[in-house]
Amino acid sequence: MAEITLKNLSIEFGSFKAVDDVSLTVKDGEFVVYLGPSGCGKTTTLRCIAGLVKATHGDVLFDGQRVNDLSASERNIAMVFQFVSLYPHLSIKENIVFPLKARGVAKAEIARKLDWVTDVFKLGDELRRYPGALPPGARQKVALARAVIRDPAVLLLDEPLSAIDEQFREEMRWELGHLQRQLGVTTIYVTHDQREAMSLADRIVLMNDSRIVQVSEPDRMFFDPVSVFAGQFIGSPSMNLIDLVPVDGGLRLGDSHVTLTAERDRLPQWALSSKRPLKLGIRPLNVHLTDEQTAGVSLPVDDVFSVGRERFFSFTIGGNLYQGVDKRKSPSGSEGRVHFDPDGLLFFDAASGRRAHAEEMA
Amino acid sequence: MTHARTSTIDLAGRWLVLGLLLVYTIYNVGPIFWLLLSSFKSRMDLFTMPPKLFFTPDLSGYQSVFGVGAAKDSASAIGVFDSLVNSVIVSVAGTSLAVFFGTLAGYVCSRFNFIGKGDFMFFVLSTRMLPPVAVLVFYHLMFARLGLADTRFGLILVSIFANVGLATWIMKGFFDGVPKEVEQIAIVNGYTRMYAFTRLVLPMVKGGIAATAGFCFIFAWNEFAFASILTTTQAKTLPVKISAASGATGIEWTQICAAGVVLIIPVLIFFYLIRKHLLMGMTFGVLGRS
Amino acid sequence: MSNANTPAGADGQAVAHATRQNALRKRSSGRLMIFGFLSPTLAILLFMVAYPIFSLIYYSFHNFSALRQSTMKPVGLGNYQYLLSDPELWERFIFTGKFVFICVSLQMLIGIFVGYQMQKNFRGRDVIFTILMMPMMLSPVVVGFLWRYMLNSEWGIINFLLSSVGIAKVDWLGQTNAALWAAAAADTWMWTPFIVLLATAAFRGIPETIYEAAEVDGASPAYRFFRITLPMSAPVLFIALILRLIDSFKQYDLFVALTGGGPGSSTQTVSFSVAKTAFSYFYTGEASALAVILLVIIIGLSMILVRHLTRMGEKY
Repeated sequence: MAEITLKNLSIEFGSFKAVDDVSLTVKDGEFVVYLGPSGCGKTTTLRCIAGLVKATHGDVLFDGQRVNDLSASERNIAMVFQFVSLYPHLSIKENIVFPLKARGVAKAEIARKLDWVTDVFKLGDELRRYPGALPPGARQKVALARAVIRDPAVLLLDEPLSAIDEQFREEMRWELGHLQRQLGVTTIYVTHDQREAMSLADRIVLMNDSRIVQVSEPDRMFFDPVSVFAGQFIGSPSMNLIDLVPVDGGLRLGDSHVTLTAERDRLPQWALSSKRPLKLGIRPLNVHLTDEQTAGVSLPVDDVFSVGRERFFSFTIGGNLYQGVDKRKSPSGSEGRVHFDPDGLLFFDAASGRRAHAEEMA
Repeated sequence: MTHARTSTIDLAGRWLVLGLLLVYTIYNVGPIFWLLLSSFKSRMDLFTMPPKLFFTPDLSGYQSVFGVGAAKDSASAIGVFDSLVNSVIVSVAGTSLAVFFGTLAGYVCSRFNFIGKGDFMFFVLSTRMLPPVAVLVFYHLMFARLGLADTRFGLILVSIFANVGLATWIMKGFFDGVPKEVEQIAIVNGYTRMYAFTRLVLPMVKGGIAATAGFCFIFAWNEFAFASILTTTQAKTLPVKISAASGATGIEWTQICAAGVVLIIPVLIFFYLIRKHLLMGMTFGVLGRS
Repeated sequence: MSNANTPAGADGQAVAHATRQNALRKRSSGRLMIFGFLSPTLAILLFMVAYPIFSLIYYSFHNFSALRQSTMKPVGLGNYQYLLSDPELWERFIFTGKFVFICVSLQMLIGIFVGYQMQKNFRGRDVIFTILMMPMMLSPVVVGFLWRYMLNSEWGIINFLLSSVGIAKVDWLGQTNAALWAAAAADTWMWTPFIVLLATAAFRGIPETIYEAAEVDGASPAYRFFRITLPMSAPVLFIALILRLIDSFKQYDLFVALTGGGPGSSTQTVSFSVAKTAFSYFYTGEASALAVILLVIIIGLSMILVRHLTRMGEKY
């Protein structure tokens, strides 16, 4: 087990900066998920930790030891790749024991370890078969077994579930989380799927454009995003973002005639008096329909669709469509009263996209 | 990029690999260079020890290959230039026909299942594997009987036979790369299979046909065994002619080297043109399909 | 089909009939195409391969010379008995075997080594690759003469280079063993590029993530090469091996130009022997028998080859 530290890590390919000045410490035994859109530098960071890509600047430390110049095979890491990387000419059993054999581990020890992973992953029937004969999900399970068989200091997972069917993916995700807690191995997981990140991570590292946007626990990532990007990347449906125009006694929503007022919508004082233009971020689950004349603002509303007990609806402000979620049936007619939950109001600096806070806006 | 840690063993290993590659490159390229150099050497310079790297170029080798100002060896034999003409005629005619027949057969083998297809495919390929001398024992008699001995026509016939198997296999590989839906859609729309083949499929494998022709040409052009046994004077090809290029003063090395250079030039051109399909041609259309 | 159930009784029947006829015509047009497209190739091959081979087999049971074609005496297995009891023939097979073994081993070893280096991407790779392929493109006769020229014991470049580093001159083509190695050097020079070509393709066909996985799994470069690279490219390398086995086994052109079979008859391959027997001594019956033996060996090897080619063809 190991603690991993990235110190001002930059990785360049020619003139392209894939990773730009990233610093982070992953604690021993922690499950950290790198999340971000494709091309944001998360996989490159992971491959650099693995030793498959060299750092251009900065350091990678394992338990305080600089490992930049160690090759992947010298780092005591294990990795599961996005696309299947089992050795097609070797049986499942041979695949799993490959890392042990490659390091010249004694036969008895190999047999013992093999029994252990076979048991953990319930692989008994598959051991004699070949990768080509297994479905993608089962192959990734084998890849995972191969990764953990030699107690790596760090387990690196590069979108391991993205090539698997939806249904099996859920199951694997659950098993993976369970396994990680059981083994207590420091784990770094890369994905672009925010639901995977939210359900697996101790901490999420959100990346965009080669840089870290935010590092925090899943809950805080959701409720307390540091920027418009963080707010919109996490959560589905995506966070609504509405222009705010300061008016007398409140903030007007975009081009509409609708105004949020200080007392009814409990707007903070600093937001009302902000010198810089702001945007309002609000998650659909904080937008409700209401019958009370005093509680919400009047906006054109469309029913969109229902999933189970939840009703997804949209509303229009100044020609732009926004989304909300409600548990109740909406009032009839196209005009409804929409209530913005005051606890869910997030203010962002319109120019930079960063979260606006009281101190800065004074 | 950062400095990778290099142990002494790694470093030594890397230098060893580089050294071995260098030795191989010299072994590989050296003889070609020497061939080129020697083709410009006069008889005097050829035998000088130590060998000269710089000398006044002597074009007599090339002159005799292209029939410029060089005397024929004897009145009855054809000149080296005539054998070059024979080579061109035989290779071009043999290649064209082999590719034509091979394209037809390759298409059928790619698209249809018929009784004995596997055997047919094996039979076709085995012609490529056949040791020429084995069939030559019989050709030698047959050609004499049919009046084909020492004729270009006879050599063209041999050239077709020697290459049609290769052409069939490579073309099958190229046709395999064309989706079957191409013809299925055409047939559904009321066109005949023949129309689909000539108007749709053939244009799609134009590059493949060119590559196949390139391969067949290279083999036909370099062919020696058949031509050496089945010709005596008139139909000799260039490879055969140079093998007999020993004059009164021993082997005419300058002439042989010049002929070697002349022989390699069209091959290099074809080689360059078909470089993308090299792998396909060398594995009978099985590997390197793209 | 029941007429009563078709809405437009007679019409429906007519349509069905027409469709069936169409299908029939299509099937027969397919047959016509198979026949038409295959027959030229088949005709040429029957005439140029099957007919000669059957004739060869026929001749091989006869005492027969091309010089006196009127006298053909059946001798049964006489030619075969004579050949198989002739120590000279066994010499030819032993020489050919040695030649094949040396050539194929050298070519596979060097080819795999160079191919392994050539799979990496580096600047100028394509140019170097093209240059490396050149020997394969030469006519075997030119190769033979070129090496004969370079190997000349008095004024050849090779002995000059050897003597300049203090090694005594070798009479390359005048001694049996030296001539064997000289021929192997020439054949290896010509055909190693072929192995390089196939090996490079095979190695490059292995996905990058497989290597990365092996690297992460802690495999040393050597372990990676022997446990991953070689086994995964084995099918292609096997095809290369069989092709070289067949080609070097039937090698003839090179020896005509390089050694002329000498010194004595010590560097005659089996192919060379067939040619010599048939076209110098005109023992056509005996040559036919030897040719049949040669054919059986080559066809055996070809069958292995074709089986693997077909399997590869299905896979890709």
